[in-house]
Amino acid sequence: MKKVIEVEHLTKKYKDFIAVSDLSFDVEEGEVLGLLGPNGSGKSTTINCLLSLLNYEDGIIKILGQVMSSTNYDVKKDIGVIFQDIAVFEELTVYENIDYFCGLYIEDKQLRKEYVIEAIKLVGLEDFQKFYPKQLSGGLLRRLNIACGIAHKPKIIFLDEPTVAVDPQSRENILAGILNLRKKGATILYTTHYMEEVEMICDRVIILDKGKIIASGSPLELKNLAKIEEKVTIEDISLKKTDLEKIKSLKNVEEVSYNKTTLIITYKKGQHNLPLLVEFLKKENLEYQRIFSERPTLNDVFLELTGKELRD
Amino acid sequence: MFKHNFIYTLKILGKNKVLIFWTFAFPIILGTFFFLAFSDIENNEKLDVFPIAIVENDNFNSRMGFKETFEVLSDDNNEDKLFDVSYVLEEDVALEMLENKDIVGYILVLDEPTVVVAKSGINETILQVTTDQILSHEKVLEDYIRKNGNSRLENFVKVMMDDYSYVLDNSNKNMSYTMVEYYTLIAMTCLYGGTLGLTALNQNLANMSQRGKRIEVSPSPKFKVVLSSILASFLISLIGLFLLFLFLVFLLKVDFGLFGGHVVLLAIVGNLAGLAIGVAIASCFKVKEGTKLGILLSVTMLGCFLAGMMGITMKYVVDKNVGWINMINPANLITDGFYSLYYYDTLTRYWWDLLGLLIFIGVMVIVSVLALRRNSYDSI
Repeated sequence: MKKVIEVEHLTKKYKDFIAVSDLSFDVEEGEVLGLLGPNGSGKSTTINCLLSLLNYEDGIIKILGQVMSSTNYDVKKDIGVIFQDIAVFEELTVYENIDYFCGLYIEDKQLRKEYVIEAIKLVGLEDFQKFYPKQLSGGLLRRLNIACGIAHKPKIIFLDEPTVAVDPQSRENILAGILNLRKKGATILYTTHYMEEVEMICDRVIILDKGKIIASGSPLELKNLAKIEEKVTIEDISLKKTDLEKIKSLKNVEEVSYNKTTLIITYKKGQHNLPLLVEFLKKENLEYQRIFSERPTLNDVFLELTGKELRD
Repeated sequence: MFKHNFIYTLKILGKNKVLIFWTFAFPIILGTFFFLAFSDIENNEKLDVFPIAIVENDNFNSRMGFKETFEVLSDDNNEDKLFDVSYVLEEDVALEMLENKDIVGYILVLDEPTVVVAKSGINETILQVTTDQILSHEKVLEDYIRKNGNSRLENFVKVMMDDYSYVLDNSNKNMSYTMVEYYTLIAMTCLYGGTLGLTALNQNLANMSQRGKRIEVSPSPKFKVVLSSILASFLISLIGLFLLFLFLVFLLKVDFGLFGGHVVLLAIVGNLAGLAIGVAIASCFKVKEGTKLGILLSVTMLGCFLAGMMGITMKYVVDKNVGWINMINPANLITDGFYSLYYYDTLTRYWWDLLGLLIFIGVMVIVSVLALRRNSYDSI
């Protein structure tokens, strides 16, 4: 596969603070790469460096085989960017906003018109073409923001946390749109701190913390890094100290945590743990409201690797 | 791309209600206010001839200069006639006329001339001041004769008259306070162009807005985007000026006389200077847009204040003490250019002011280009 983004030893400092440290990775054509990390981990800084918006101290960035610079217009015409914050003009309608940004890439008026209409359809804003941004809800505004970034049909798309502060329905719509772009062959670099999104759309994930790569691989590969294989949660249960001791001694149990009425048990291995636990609870006459089992998430991986939650 | 960005910048700026108010509506509202406030003052400014009395006693008749001056000032053939003089022989008669309000006041010459009035007022003051001035001139001449005799008296009188004539000949005889206010208004509108330039440029800068980031990552060269945005804001600014001129000429019937073309030329260059300040501030300061606007308004207002737009005395104070400030102050160069059209018969000073503005614009452009030349930022 052809590498469309190549980053070697990228280092970016803000005075004495190292935002990105010796970062190296590449993205292959048609791949969706997720940059996952908590706020301040260096995701947006990395994207801004890749786009040549930020100067950086060290490293080489190549896009489509060419060294990226702010004046490399040949490369820039194949890039689309969706920033974390809304980047549209309040004075222009939905159609005009998309047309304006598309016009920075596409000179041909007729072709641009087709592209704009396609983008509007892609994000589902057909009924809002003449609306001004202030007349749109937060979710619709996010969709407009995305349409402005992808209307010119870029080969590479940078999405910097596009679903922050979006309602579930709009989020689903946005993620479906991204999957649609992927189907059409776009290479996507996606930053987020929502692990569910990464698991849903990314082929490969890089987990960042304090500007450094702490793990990388496919979502499945990363989850296999976790020591635990299953997590069982029991809600509304009342336990004594002796009960907790008994649970800890059950087969495969790694760790037990009990907080007021919620019990969380993590297992080293993930087979037949739930039926055995239910049987034990019945035998001990321990009552509860709800019990459920989960596979480890990327958040658990992150927690194991760094000792903190992704959303911290 | 140039045309695309130019047209959309026109749309974006044209739909910005705040900017449109300050660019289009505010100068017209202020112009209307000036018209309502000052036109009456000007109409009432012409002095009316008013009646006075002079007690024609021996003392009065012996002061020839004093007597002749009053004869001139009450001559029907004199364009500057000030008084209708009734000559009376007894003070009692003058007093009775004053009590009957037939006259504003009367002059009685005993050892020295005395002005007698019944109350304080404009006409009473004019009578007093005129009398004092005549006495002052009389005293200067007396002093000269006492020191020099009658030799070269004629020359001395001529020099005195020449000094007086110099002032008259070099100022425009149709001087109007309202016109000065309209020129000030045009100058202020020119400088308001800065807010348009600042806003237009800010939207293109990645360190200023998310839209700017999106524009800077596009394949459109920064130079083209910035230039087309500035041209669009200049056009809007010019439309604002054009509307103001239409309003002044056709609705308020302001007559710019022979200098209409010069006024328009200076307004266009002044507008460009205003725009250049806005662009330079937008380029050089890495602060929020509101702060940049604050800096722009502060700089503009300070410039206007020092140029005497809020009180003409300040202009002279600055000219006298720190003259170089007014030489680099665009507000002063604009207003001074307008005043020079008004006050002087020659255009030399006008052209110097225009040249000064062009140099100022050049400097602002160089500063802006140097600041904008960078394509990446240390932080955004």
